[in-house]
Amino acid sequence: MKITRTKAFKVFFTPIWESNPVSGQILGICSALAVTVQLKTAIVMSLALTFVLAFSNFSISLMRNLIPRNIRIIVELTVIATLVIFADQVLKAFLYDISKQLSIFVGLIITNCIIMGRAETYALGNPPFLSLLDGIGNGLGYSQILITVAIMRELLGAGKLFGFQVIPDALYAAGYKNMGFMVLAPGAFIAIGLIVWLQKTVSKE
Amino acid sequence: MSNHIKSIIFAAVLSIVCGSLLTLASTGLKEYHLKNIALDKQKNILKSVGLIQEDKALSTDTIEELYTNSIRQMWVDFEGKIVPKQQKGTKDLPVYLHVKNGNIQSYIIPVDSRGLWGRISGYLALKKDGVTVSGFTVYNHSETPGLGGEIDKRWFQKNFAGKKILDDRGKLVSVAIAKGRVADKIPESRQKNFVDGISGATLTGKFLSGGLKLTLIEYEPLLKKIQKKED
Repeated sequence: MKITRTKAFKVFFTPIWESNPVSGQILGICSALAVTVQLKTAIVMSLALTFVLAFSNFSISLMRNLIPRNIRIIVELTVIATLVIFADQVLKAFLYDISKQLSIFVGLIITNCIIMGRAETYALGNPPFLSLLDGIGNGLGYSQILITVAIMRELLGAGKLFGFQVIPDALYAAGYKNMGFMVLAPGAFIAIGLIVWLQKTVSKE
Repeated sequence: MSNHIKSIIFAAVLSIVCGSLLTLASTGLKEYHLKNIALDKQKNILKSVGLIQEDKALSTDTIEELYTNSIRQMWVDFEGKIVPKQQKGTKDLPVYLHVKNGNIQSYIIPVDSRGLWGRISGYLALKKDGVTVSGFTVYNHSETPGLGGEIDKRWFQKNFAGKKILDDRGKLVSVAIAKGRVADKIPESRQKNFVDGISGATLTGKFLSGGLKLTLIEYEPLLKKIQKKED
């Protein structure tokens, strides 16, 4: 059997493009608007979310036959909240400046619909390894959109990438101006809208 | 075993496991947190006198070196007299000095103000005349991100530079946060005592204005001495 036909491969790669959580299922838009002004914060946020998603999927899947049906949402939330607080503590210890910039958005990963959604629809009914792959796949799908949007916004809005100026001074001298609109949240709306449009058009064929 | 008991036992075990994991993480990382907070304070002190810029990433060593080279700390009592470090009481007020080649460049006063949701902590730096503000920074607050939380942003803080804490008649009025833009709302003669407000965060502005004034009143004896010395 070719590797592209295995179930694991599908579980991992479908959410990266075909059913991308952000551009395909329109989930997790809130944080995609909030933390994409700079590439650096977007990458850290992506890593934090992928970490939480992978391990929440994995641990919920491990317990899936033990979790009492009537309290399963509470159990999912407890697991997710624990992981989010853990990620927040690690960021505060090793990336203090970035964690200050992300402020409450790391904490708000708890309410990110992608995580609850994957736990409910996938992890509760599938074995741990596949759930882990599904978590990482969805995390990467989210990261990919976040990073694309952040590149668009930082480049067009501030003329920088990772805080370094990339648009040459000569261009500014010739009359080029930064698009201040891209720094604001509506700029992210438009960027995400364009990506959704691109995705729908490409995957139709 | 009935379903209810099973649920309760499961919930209890899960809580204990998650709880202990978090306790472990928090105590294990505490040392790093405290170090970061201390470093962040030093960074804010340096930022308030313009020794480092917002968007430049500096290594821990550079910041510590800069701090030990150019910042001195001292304590003053309620009359504005300098208290030796060994004799300082709980009521004495801390002041940081920015020193360059043995000369005092500015006085940095720690600000601990009430905010809308919690305390706002920061530093207000005054130039050596004791009247002109050289900078203001915030290192800790719990205001709403995007609204009151803007107080830790550069666009808000940079407006403090060059403002005066005395009015035309020499009375201490502190620097207040206007409701809206200073140029539109405040008469020309008083514009030097106000900075632009944050839309949607009137209350944060009000509390911070109050906190700044209270802090400056506490330090007034010291400031008077500084101002007299300069004349």
